[in-house]
Amino acid sequence: MKKNDLYSKEEKLFQDKNKIYSAQSVKQIVYSTDVRDFGQVAKSIPCQDACPAKTNIPGYIRAVFEKRYGRAYELNRSANILPGVLGRICSRPCESGCRHGEPDNGLSVGICHLKRSCADLKPGSHRIIEGLYAPTEKKVAVIGSGPAGLAAAHDLSILGHKVVIFEGLEKPGGMLMYGIPEFRLPRDLLMLEIKNILRLGIQLKTNKAIGVDISLDQLKNEYDAVVVATGCVSPRKFDVTGEDLENVYNGLDFMKAVNEGQKPFVGDKVIVVGAGFTAVDCARSAIRLGALDVRINIRKTIEYMRIDETEKYEAQFEGIKTYSLIQPSKIIGNNNKVTAVEFQRTRMEKTDTPPYRVSIPIENSQFLVPTDSVIAALGQTPDEAVVSKDLDGLDGVFAAGDFVTGSSDVISAIAGGRKSAQAIDEYLIGEKRKQTVVRLEKHETSDRQRSYDFIGKLEMNTIDMEKRLSRATNEVETGYNDDQAHEEAKRCYLCNLEYEIDPLTCIYCSACIDVAPKDCIKMIESVPVNPDGTYGIYEETDDWNKVISIAIDNAKCIRCGQCLAVCPMDCISVTKKELIEIDT
Amino acid sequence: MPFNDHYVIIGNGPAGNHAAIILREKDKEAKITIISDECVPYYYKPKLTDFIADEIAKEDLMVSFLDSYKAKDIRIRLGQEVERIDPESKTLFLQHMEKVNYSKLIIASGSRARLLPPMSCYANHLKFVTSYTDVIEVKEEIKKLKSFFIFGGDLVGFKFLRMLNSMDKTVTILICPNAFWPYNLTDDMLAQITESLSKFNADIIVKDDISTIDEQNGSYRVKTQKGIEKNVDMVFSFNGLNPNIEFAKGSGIDIDHGILVNEYLKTNIDGIYACGSCAQIYHPNIRSYTTSIGWPNAVVQGEVAAFNLLGDHKIMESVGRKYFDLEGVKIKTTWWEDIDDES
Repeated sequence: MKKNDLYSKEEKLFQDKNKIYSAQSVKQIVYSTDVRDFGQVAKSIPCQDACPAKTNIPGYIRAVFEKRYGRAYELNRSANILPGVLGRICSRPCESGCRHGEPDNGLSVGICHLKRSCADLKPGSHRIIEGLYAPTEKKVAVIGSGPAGLAAAHDLSILGHKVVIFEGLEKPGGMLMYGIPEFRLPRDLLMLEIKNILRLGIQLKTNKAIGVDISLDQLKNEYDAVVVATGCVSPRKFDVTGEDLENVYNGLDFMKAVNEGQKPFVGDKVIVVGAGFTAVDCARSAIRLGALDVRINIRKTIEYMRIDETEKYEAQFEGIKTYSLIQPSKIIGNNNKVTAVEFQRTRMEKTDTPPYRVSIPIENSQFLVPTDSVIAALGQTPDEAVVSKDLDGLDGVFAAGDFVTGSSDVISAIAGGRKSAQAIDEYLIGEKRKQTVVRLEKHETSDRQRSYDFIGKLEMNTIDMEKRLSRATNEVETGYNDDQAHEEAKRCYLCNLEYEIDPLTCIYCSACIDVAPKDCIKMIESVPVNPDGTYGIYEETDDWNKVISIAIDNAKCIRCGQCLAVCPMDCISVTKKELIEIDT
Repeated sequence: MPFNDHYVIIGNGPAGNHAAIILREKDKEAKITIISDECVPYYYKPKLTDFIADEIAKEDLMVSFLDSYKAKDIRIRLGQEVERIDPESKTLFLQHMEKVNYSKLIIASGSRARLLPPMSCYANHLKFVTSYTDVIEVKEEIKKLKSFFIFGGDLVGFKFLRMLNSMDKTVTILICPNAFWPYNLTDDMLAQITESLSKFNADIIVKDDISTIDEQNGSYRVKTQKGIEKNVDMVFSFNGLNPNIEFAKGSGIDIDHGILVNEYLKTNIDGIYACGSCAQIYHPNIRSYTTSIGWPNAVVQGEVAAFNLLGDHKIMESVGRKYFDLEGVKIKTTWWEDIDDES
């Protein structure tokens, strides 16, 4: 036996040079910067890994289970500054990663609905916690008050910098305010969460459009740093004849008009072209404007629509039909008003380069569909007439959000805004003041019951069609109540709890293997190391002569706790692993 | 050891069975397996209403019995649900956690009753007549009960209405214009259908929709949006069919409303074919994909898929039966309403 093996697992933790020890170490809490721990967290907690903002999802779901909604809200807010907003309109990459949604495991946890519950159900007396730094006397201008700009402004303000946001429109929020319909995102909630950011002392200057009311050069001169977060506001066009006809709208302008309280003409029949959230928002808004026959038309198949299942369902519920494998080839009008769209059918073809499946128009397959209005929701690009995309070499000028990445989603924009704030702080202060570490804490129980694995997914409560149409701004989803949130929270596997078998204590009785409902406990002959230093996939063996250890594959484990309960040697330990930010 | 192909067919309806028969005729050595989530052998779905009314016995409903599969050396796996396909390893993952490997695959998984999204909250109150299992659950109850509410009104729905009438039941039918989604019945069509149905003893409701369905002591109170209220013993939904294709999602097989196949019934993945009502077939004449319904279409498609799987290049010459008769009204069998080729 090697000398090192004489030490217990906890003792070994203390010997590791990659671990940071604090006063909390007496409680067996360790902060690690070891690449292997980061790798394990990414592999073991796929929901968090899929979230661009790396939200501590199991952490806040556990808090929801405990009905500590204020705590759950704060855990959310530490990664994304708009939990109530994101709990309604997030694109939910986490739910695609959720292990509960893997084959044989049922449906993913309603992570987004639970996020909303944190905001909806937190007590009225809840006070937001901010870890403020001392004032630095540095001034930062943020151009744009969309999610990326707000996130950057918040984090910079926390770090002690004086922040001013310049917003070209009348109200803050960017796409959240002008792009998303109120029936999906109530404006009082949006304004509340924006005010919670501004109350740090951030100055908001609205109706100050960059390139019109103020120039980038001016800001560069007056501020120590500038963040460009102007988003993507230049709509893509059809590029077919007839798109300048009356009653042909682009999706963004259409939604902006609707969200400003206008009632753009739609008529009885509406054709929406596009496969993303904006297309569905436009279609659902058209229904509320009185349209009787609304169809969404997409070039590829329904499978390629860039919306989640809930949106697909809600669109169907409201009577919107989706027609796939067609693309507009001409817009036809009479007296300068649109009367029909000529579509051409398409078929799917393979390509050798991304996106690998494309739609190809079929020759001589055109057909006409009569319509009263057309809405093109084909996505947006940054408006380079306002700010040039080429910011390289401009000292003190940073960029974030959709302006950098192209049109993406709100959670990615928030993550981008926060990342830019870190970079700006380092630029202004000359050193990195925060770092992300893995917090490891010994955990005594599984926190779960096997029966939780069989609870069905709880659907979101919604209002009926009559109420939806009676007032266009009525919020469709009404949220979980306290009991529903608690029940849905039970479904989370709590993947932040990592299970380990101590091979020195294990007597290889295989009791744990017998009770494991998944193929997650393995006899292994080696643990490969990936090029980045993280652990690879365990190499299993059924040859006893080659077995070096019995191990729990935490990427397969559903944290049922059965092994923990049955182990006669108490050699299975549970460690809570969480990504947190600490001061350097 | 000689290598024998293993042809797997998902689905035990007309398409799947006729594909299996051709495969066996043309390849005596291959292993052939049919996997079906239903627990009964191949039966004749159009006769389900006759079976409910006791006009035919269970034996008359059956097209094939278990011995006939054995005689043809076709392995039949009943009551087993395919959960996903991995085309790369040519593996099917079944719900009971078994893996089945195939060398070539035919998907003939058919369709199930379409539940209109606004009705999903009443799913527990609604009954369907799509499969033998659906029917067995309600057959004896139908005989005992008196009043029925039919919501929708597709082909099977009208056949069911006729059956209830012959059994002297009290029937209310609410004809839903989009029972043939995406094909909406026009006012003229509705009038013609209503006229045709007036020969039956039934309350016919049109241009209305269900508002609520409340369960009250084992019966149901159905309220419509225009305020009509009916107390009934059972509520049936007949709003067309949805292809059974969930198991193929995420596998890399092109899917739209159904599984996309070319005129040879081949999917975008080598060695995988689809046929019957789960397939959306590209047809060069109409330059579009179309989905067919009906027994004869499924039989022909099953055979074509099998021939092509074995190396032939048979084209689905026709999109099948393009129209069907709905109480005197011609309804197109294709997905797209603007195909106007009656030839």
